[in-house]
Amino acid sequence: MRPLHPQSLSRQSWVFALATWAAVSLACRAEMDDAAQFEREILPILEDHCYQCHGDGEEKGKVCFDAFGSTAELMKQPELWVHTLKNIRSGTMPPAKKDRIPPADFAKLEQWIKRGALQLDPQHPDPGRVTLRRLNRTEYRNTIRDLMGTDFRTDEEFPADDTGYGFDNIGDVLSTSSLLLEKYMLAAEVIVTRSVPIMKEGSELSKNYDRFFTRPQVPEDGAERVKYAEEILRRFTTRAFRRPVDDRTVERLTALAMESAALPEGTFERGIARAITAVLASTRFLFRFEEVLPESDPQAHPLLDEYALASRLSYFLWSTMPDETLYQLAEKGELRKNLPAQMDRMIQDERCEELIRNFAGQWLQSRDIASVSIDARLVLTRDLGQEKEMGAHAERFRRLAHEIADAEMAQDLKRGGALLAERFKLGKIFGITGERFEFGTALRTAMRREAELLFGDLLRHDGSVLRLVENDSTFLNERLAKHYGIPGVEGEQMRRVKLPPDSPRGGVLTMGTVLAVTSNPTRTSPVKRGQFILTNILGTPPPPPPPDIPSLEASGKTHDGSERPLREALAMHREKPQCASCHNRMDPLGLTMENFNAMGSWRDHELGQPIPNTGGRLITGEAFADITELKHLLVTARRGDYYRCLTEKMLTYALGRGPEHHDITTVDQIVSDLEKSDGKFSTLIRGIIESTPFQRRHRTSP
Amino acid sequence: MTPMSTNRRLFLRGMGACIALPALEAFLPGRAMAATVSGGQAVRAATTASGAPLRMAFLYFPNGAIPNQWTPTGSGRDFAFGNTLAPLQALRHRVQVISGLDHTNAQAGPDGAGDHARANGTFLTGVRVKKTAGSDIRAGVSVDQIAANAIGSQTRFASLELSTDPHQKSGECDSGYSCAYESNLAWRSATSPLAPESNPRLVFERLFGSGIHGQRGASLAQRRSQQRSILDFVMDDAKAVAKQLTHRDTAKVDEYLTGLREIEQRIVTAENLKATTDPNLPTPIGIPAAYDDYIRLMFQMMALAFETDATRVSSMILARDGSDRPFPEIKIAEGHHSLSHHRSNAEMIHKVAQIDRFYAERFAEFLTLLESKHDADGQTILHNSMIVYGCGNSDGNQHTHTNLPVVLAGNGGGVLNPGQYLQANSAPMCNLYLNMLDTMGVPTLDRFGDSTGRLASI
Repeated sequence: MRPLHPQSLSRQSWVFALATWAAVSLACRAEMDDAAQFEREILPILEDHCYQCHGDGEEKGKVCFDAFGSTAELMKQPELWVHTLKNIRSGTMPPAKKDRIPPADFAKLEQWIKRGALQLDPQHPDPGRVTLRRLNRTEYRNTIRDLMGTDFRTDEEFPADDTGYGFDNIGDVLSTSSLLLEKYMLAAEVIVTRSVPIMKEGSELSKNYDRFFTRPQVPEDGAERVKYAEEILRRFTTRAFRRPVDDRTVERLTALAMESAALPEGTFERGIARAITAVLASTRFLFRFEEVLPESDPQAHPLLDEYALASRLSYFLWSTMPDETLYQLAEKGELRKNLPAQMDRMIQDERCEELIRNFAGQWLQSRDIASVSIDARLVLTRDLGQEKEMGAHAERFRRLAHEIADAEMAQDLKRGGALLAERFKLGKIFGITGERFEFGTALRTAMRREAELLFGDLLRHDGSVLRLVENDSTFLNERLAKHYGIPGVEGEQMRRVKLPPDSPRGGVLTMGTVLAVTSNPTRTSPVKRGQFILTNILGTPPPPPPPDIPSLEASGKTHDGSERPLREALAMHREKPQCASCHNRMDPLGLTMENFNAMGSWRDHELGQPIPNTGGRLITGEAFADITELKHLLVTARRGDYYRCLTEKMLTYALGRGPEHHDITTVDQIVSDLEKSDGKFSTLIRGIIESTPFQRRHRTSP
Repeated sequence: MTPMSTNRRLFLRGMGACIALPALEAFLPGRAMAATVSGGQAVRAATTASGAPLRMAFLYFPNGAIPNQWTPTGSGRDFAFGNTLAPLQALRHRVQVISGLDHTNAQAGPDGAGDHARANGTFLTGVRVKKTAGSDIRAGVSVDQIAANAIGSQTRFASLELSTDPHQKSGECDSGYSCAYESNLAWRSATSPLAPESNPRLVFERLFGSGIHGQRGASLAQRRSQQRSILDFVMDDAKAVAKQLTHRDTAKVDEYLTGLREIEQRIVTAENLKATTDPNLPTPIGIPAAYDDYIRLMFQMMALAFETDATRVSSMILARDGSDRPFPEIKIAEGHHSLSHHRSNAEMIHKVAQIDRFYAERFAEFLTLLESKHDADGQTILHNSMIVYGCGNSDGNQHTHTNLPVVLAGNGGGVLNPGQYLQANSAPMCNLYLNMLDTMGVPTLDRFGDSTGRLASI
């Protein structure tokens, strides 16, 4: 490099010093402005609306605004302000019985929290930090399928991945033990044996020859063979690493291949297979490394390079590696330019089923329906209030078998006949002959598919995400329609069914899958159902119960040992002040779904008593008469909460990290776009893909 | 190929070759040791006075136990099992029930709800696990891994982590804690949990090789040679990659490198040892449908690993804390966790006690199995073991973490005093762990977790 002219150096440093001074003083000024604005405009709002419980010595819920000594100190409490913003936005605070904050003040407070307290800069949003992500077992399986043309059952061979923030693709949580590495190494062997042909002809695998080998013939000449090996391995490794591979790596792999080919039983192809095995066990295949583009503006965080962007897209929408089209666009540097078109193409591609299975499957927990424990017979007898009688019947039924045997031994035909008739009658009560008591695989699968099909239909036809919650049609087959009591659906095939006008179905909340996964093995759990809505629809999960207080719902028994309907048991504990504040939020939501039993079918009775009016009130004050009205409220009055909640969940899934407070800018933008587009699915997906945290990252080298 | 990596490979091969030299036999660990029992040897790590292997295991059952049915009556040697532990009666001379052990770091303290995640996460680590849904999980190195680090190179596997709770629930885990705290007992480092294996077939194949009896040794050897053939490449590659990363990402690649080094170590160890035993048993097909069969089979795998000296350290999660598993096997339709919050309802208490006993029966079967197998020194494997059976919750109804339900089985090779009911009166659980680490021959630690000393007279 040419040495810098001394004068220019000094001028440069002078300019730099000035710039630094200006930046620092600007920042100071900004902070002072924010503090001054706080004292002038924000403090009075807090005093009016919050201090009664969270100031002047009060600290309800351990929240207190005036315990920090100075405004500067108070402003350095991001958690407090994130919490405050969340609570005022969801209407949880101030409580419904208190005055609302007037809209103008509300906007001022909201804006100040974002700009003043949290220092969010909409011009240069912080993309947050995504930790290096290991492929989870679903992504690994799909990537192997696309790369190697073989299906390796990771669900059987690999341990389940740990989850965080509700999803199993979170970089920080995906750990790598030596056990897992051993499995990766073994899997690589198995996969390579299955898919890499070690001779050109005569092998089952030879149809896969072109996937790995580029020439019709292995050259005879030694140097040419090495060249050919490099050619093959460069091509393969580039695909496997999802970005161009450096020469040194190719050289080392080639050396490995040639060394292996030189072994007594070695061949050229076996050598290549060995090198491919090494690639499949290496970090750059198993982890998703990301690089950034140069960025001249020091204030801005750099954009991901196009290869990293291609992988972010493909793992988000398809849970697999980029396909040829994405890769070629990245190679030409044209992917970012073509994002909307590529997004549309990817959504229409069948690989997008993975987004449905893995995102919706975890968000709505429909992945769990296959394994959730429900005792169908007990659920039904409980509804009828016949647990005791059924117990007695069951005992009698068992004893009858012996008595019948005895009668047969004694050749007492008359007695035997009478006993058989009694047993048959009891058998009918149990429904042993019918399918009434079955909560089997076919029904569970139909339930999972119902949720997936609705999600997929709205995604592919760019419907509104509001229709996930409120909908006049759903997807059924005969088995599921019968379970729901909807006539006229025949056959195993799932298809769209227009619901009768008075049907309480339609939307995920009254789908069998959600109703069952939020139930206990023998009965419904209004608390879990309420919590589900708060956590997954409204985005305001209740704080966990205080320590050492057992789950109150667990005991519905009265002093004489008979069981109380859950509604009464819940009402009793809502009277306790330490339970009331959260259960007043959860219980009314869950109780409005009490007409659906633990398997999600309709019922009019619980414990033999009619289920009373299932109306209630949201914590924000809106009243609903039944689940249909509740759904409607969720997509009208509380629509913003739902948009925000869904956006945060999907952003978490797309980025593989938990929400951070810098994300507020991104989420707010998407929510406001959703408002404008009436909740179009593409607005959500595109908003995420085009957002700063998806497109940029912190500089990789310090 | 770089010169350095070639050297390592030569070294690996060389170690394998050394083994044939009889002069070195005296230094050989593992089965060779167990076979050549001789008096007057210096005390070796994880070895009994008679020269046999000494093992330690930690078995976790969920949701605590009904205290008055668990706790024995009497004290010292003059005690009677309660209903829950009655299945241990035949092995009374091999077990000690220890009351009064606490995990105060599992108590709510400043962290609020989440007692199940904490019960599980604290159990073998003794630390207060960090409350996080994922961004910065942090526990501590678990007691089994302290032992595995110190003595693990003597066996083919430093440790073996098992589970009979394969299902991963979607959505959030316990009250803001990452699921990592519930699905793992063993922690390699404060940030790296060791995922347990839950498929008995995969455990068996990992221990003894795949294929039918007679071919498995060869399959293991092949597996090792395959691993060796790519180790150099992937390790050097990872090191090169790690240089370009920022802090948190480096930690992820370090975890990978640590795993590779462990595999490398395992290859060296395996080649040092004589031919692996190939049990004359069919390979398990997979996960049995009935839960009791499943647990039994998994315990058999652990017993096999001990018997063949494939490892001397193991842990097993019967079910994660908070498990809401129903027990159709014993006609209980409600979930375990829902029942455990019984609020003094007699019927629910009765059902929970039945579940507690169900687990205890499986434990008793496991001990019986270990008692039926003999080491080279003529003692039973149970005699030459230290096995903790316990839970990080004591009373599931209250979510308490003091006076935990704990049984210590085995004679520790003759060091322990089984056949007693010991009342520890509010001592940290970690004190027991220190005793065990001492017995195991781990270089003396001053502290582990929240330990305050050692237990007397265990």
